Amino acid sequence: MPRAAVAHMSERLTLDPAALSRIGNLELVARWVVEGFISGLHRSPHLGFSTDFAEHRPYVPGDDIRHVDWRVYARTERTYLKTYEADTNTNFTVLLDVSASMGYAHGGITKLGYAKLVAATLAWFSRRQRDRVGLVTFADDVREIVPPSARHLPNVLHALERATASGTGALARPLAKIAQSQPRRGLFLLLSDLYEPAADVLRALGPLTGAGHDVIVIQLLDAAERTFPFADSTTFRDLETGERLPVSPGKVRERYKAAMESHLTSMRSKLGGGRIDYSLVDTSQPLDRVLFDVLLRREFLRTAV
Amino acid sequence: MPVLAPLFLLGLAAIAVPLLVHLVQREKRDPMAFPSLMFLEKTPAPFTSRRNLRDPWLFLLRALAVIALALAFARPVFGPRPVIGGVDQRRREIIVLLDRSFSMRVGDRWVRAKAVVDSVIRTLAPGDRMTLVPFDRRANAVTAATSDAAQLRAGLDSLQPSDESTRLAPAITLAQQRLSASDAPRKALVVVSDFQRSAWDLSDDSRMAPGTELAAVDVSGAVPVSDRAVRSVDVRRDRNDDGPAQAIVSARIANIGAAARGVVVQLEVGGRVLTTRTIDLPRDGGAAVSFAAVPMPPTPLPARVVLAADAVPGDDAFHFLLQQAPVLSALVIEGRSGAFLSRALAIGDAPHFEIMSRTPSRVSASDLNGRRLILLADGSFPTGIGAARLLRFVDEGGGLIVSMGDQMRSASWPAAARVLIPGQIRAPTDRSTANGAVLGAMDQRHPALALLAGARAGDLSAARFYRFRGIDTTAGVLARFDDGTAALTEHAVGRGRVLTFGSTFDGVWNDLPRQPAFLPLVQQLARYAASWRDDPRAFEIGASIRPSDLAPASGTDPRWVATAPSGRRVTVGGDGTPAALELTEAGVFELRPGGTPGARPLLVAANVAPAELDFASFDALRLTTALTAAPGAQAVLQSASATETLADREARQSTWWYLLLAVALLLIAESVVARRAVTRTPVVE
Repeated sequence: MPRAAVAHMSERLTLDPAALSRIGNLELVARWVVEGFISGLHRSPHLGFSTDFAEHRPYVPGDDIRHVDWRVYARTERTYLKTYEADTNTNFTVLLDVSASMGYAHGGITKLGYAKLVAATLAWFSRRQRDRVGLVTFADDVREIVPPSARHLPNVLHALERATASGTGALARPLAKIAQSQPRRGLFLLLSDLYEPAADVLRALGPLTGAGHDVIVIQLLDAAERTFPFADSTTFRDLETGERLPVSPGKVRERYKAAMESHLTSMRSKLGGGRIDYSLVDTSQPLDRVLFDVLLRREFLRTAV
Repeated sequence: MPVLAPLFLLGLAAIAVPLLVHLVQREKRDPMAFPSLMFLEKTPAPFTSRRNLRDPWLFLLRALAVIALALAFARPVFGPRPVIGGVDQRRREIIVLLDRSFSMRVGDRWVRAKAVVDSVIRTLAPGDRMTLVPFDRRANAVTAATSDAAQLRAGLDSLQPSDESTRLAPAITLAQQRLSASDAPRKALVVVSDFQRSAWDLSDDSRMAPGTELAAVDVSGAVPVSDRAVRSVDVRRDRNDDGPAQAIVSARIANIGAAARGVVVQLEVGGRVLTTRTIDLPRDGGAAVSFAAVPMPPTPLPARVVLAADAVPGDDAFHFLLQQAPVLSALVIEGRSGAFLSRALAIGDAPHFEIMSRTPSRVSASDLNGRRLILLADGSFPTGIGAARLLRFVDEGGGLIVSMGDQMRSASWPAAARVLIPGQIRAPTDRSTANGAVLGAMDQRHPALALLAGARAGDLSAARFYRFRGIDTTAGVLARFDDGTAALTEHAVGRGRVLTFGSTFDGVWNDLPRQPAFLPLVQQLARYAASWRDDPRAFEIGASIRPSDLAPASGTDPRWVATAPSGRRVTVGGDGTPAALELTEAGVFELRPGGTPGARPLLVAANVAPAELDFASFDALRLTTALTAAPGAQAVLQSASATETLADREARQSTWWYLLLAVALLLIAESVVARRAVTRTPVVE
């Protein structure tokens, strides 16, 4: 897509995430955003098509039983599906952080709510491109897995709607498990607030990148987490650990903002150095702008590859 | 700014609620959730910041809403301009008329009235002068015009409600005089009263000078009056009693307010309770109660009918004197018509007529002893009495009624007694063939005939006179026949009165005895001729009595010493003392003739005037309209304006509506601000 067209598109993107979150139906939101987004692109999303056999994968509820390989079932008494290259392009798996800190918002949509919108929209978009779509929710361990499949979009959307923020978060353990369970190369989208040192995040992503997966990291932050706009002296409570800390915001604001910016800069440089596509998203940003930005960066990344 | 319901201002204390909420919430505030503390440092809050209000704008909105709500319920009233305490600093002359009549004892009227006067005193600016004039039936300034608030308050504190009735005219007249004599550039009149309807006696002259500021403050309040009162007492002789004279006392009890059952009514005589009755009183009605016959005392005794005390205690007792019925002794010198006269007079009870009948030939001078009236009924001159004696009788105050019949001729009267005949007596006129004559004109304003002026008092014009004698006189004609000749005349001889009737009372020359008006006519003529004055058993407060009219002084000292029910002593009747005693208190006054301290006192009972017990009031607007009707008059009214309409008055009280609107707007703003405050706080799923 020409750069001029991209710039023109970026000026028209104004989907308010808070307004979208009030719709309540992720499928509807995702379809509406993607269709609108695509009509803005004036470009057909339907890419190549073939009928070559690709692989067998286990049956999960929701799969069409017409695609069950009954011969394999006769031999093994296990239900496997035959998949074809014509159905999919790649595996697209959303890694959604559902730790308690993702449930934070300061006057707008929570980070988890925003992440759900992004995940649902990109999942829908990927499905339109014949990609297989999957979802993994995790906090300090894996919570729920929807394996990538061409027919699992409803399962993904349903799992997204069920997801709630709770518990402490840590990337290393769940990401290692995911890397082990996904032998086929694919594209992973990590949605998290990344409250870990950048080096730890890079280390946690190591199993995925080492296995040859493409990884997109979107760090979600509320505006208050960057500007720290509080005025009253009060006690702050850590959403994940429950730890309490008396704080006078006026006194620590500048130091907080400096530490946060240092953290973000470190994250940007470390992940960029690890060839990981990293984006920082403010939950007050329009949703289609984020979508556009991610896809655009993805295209640049592929071009670079 | 006056308010109609000041108690609601206590609602301002509710400001403490949002204040406490904002302070307490500040201290007890929950910890603020935050995604991670990894970039935060521990910095304890300084103590001073904890004393600060949280969300001051929110608190301000809530406090303003509470204030507006309290003010709205308090119903503030804005006048077109304050009567007192205006911004104009020019010197003022203020007259405050304070109603102190009996009706001001009802409820808290007196307390409220004093509070109003006190508020006026508080607004006095340097240079202002104020005169406090309490008024009831009379008006007298309790202080001279002064700026001294302490002196005015002392005068105010010395006042108490009286037992007297209310009259506005004397108070307004006094205010007019005081204000017209003042050279102050601003003049104000404040009338503080319950504005009883019976107090209205203003005339067209009762107008204040142009430019006079006027305030009418009604303190009657909105609570309906509830009162039970003994309105009147009637004492009659027990006619069925053949033994010692007895009296039957009956009283009329009035009830204002809710119905009452089992109300105890007592008859006290000489300080002792003789009879007790229990009655039921209907709502806003009355009842009559009669007591068992009681012995009539030989000398007057103070008595009263008493109710159980209620909220208005001054009218729960009616004082009167229990005494023998008065007797008017009359000598009837009868011809043929004596029977009619004697019977007509014998029925009289007020007074009781003591009749002695004689024929003209058998009457003697000794028969006049103790008599106050002589009736010459169609008889010739009583030669047994003699002209000189008869003349002396009349001259000393006796009464004489002469009826002109067949036997009466002027020529038969001695020359010395001719003065008792008003003029030339004509020969009888016979109108028997022409259906008789009638009375063509009567002076019903004359005391002798005033009794017949009422609608149901009887009609003398229905009487037919078949024969009559005209009287040629021009003076003292009370009635004329239809041909214009005098029918009834009056003339004075010495201290006595002579009534001359141009016909008879025998039913032969006329049918007068068969007319309903005959009985009252004869009795009233007898009372008038004898100069009879009813001796009331009880007077109304405010009446002035001359003791010598009730009983002649026994000694040479014309003074009387009166002792009021409260113990106050007043000397009347002498030089330098009031000629009459003014009854100012409810109860029994004792009057003792001066110089004879051992003499039996003359008793006079006084009660609150019935008009004062009518608590119906008129709108203060009526007073202000009457007083400011003069062209160019400037009315600045506190309770009502002469020029304002009901819509204007409502508009002055409609501030509450705007306050409630302000409350609604403040609450909307509070919702918006509170929502923003809430959205500033973290949302955690």
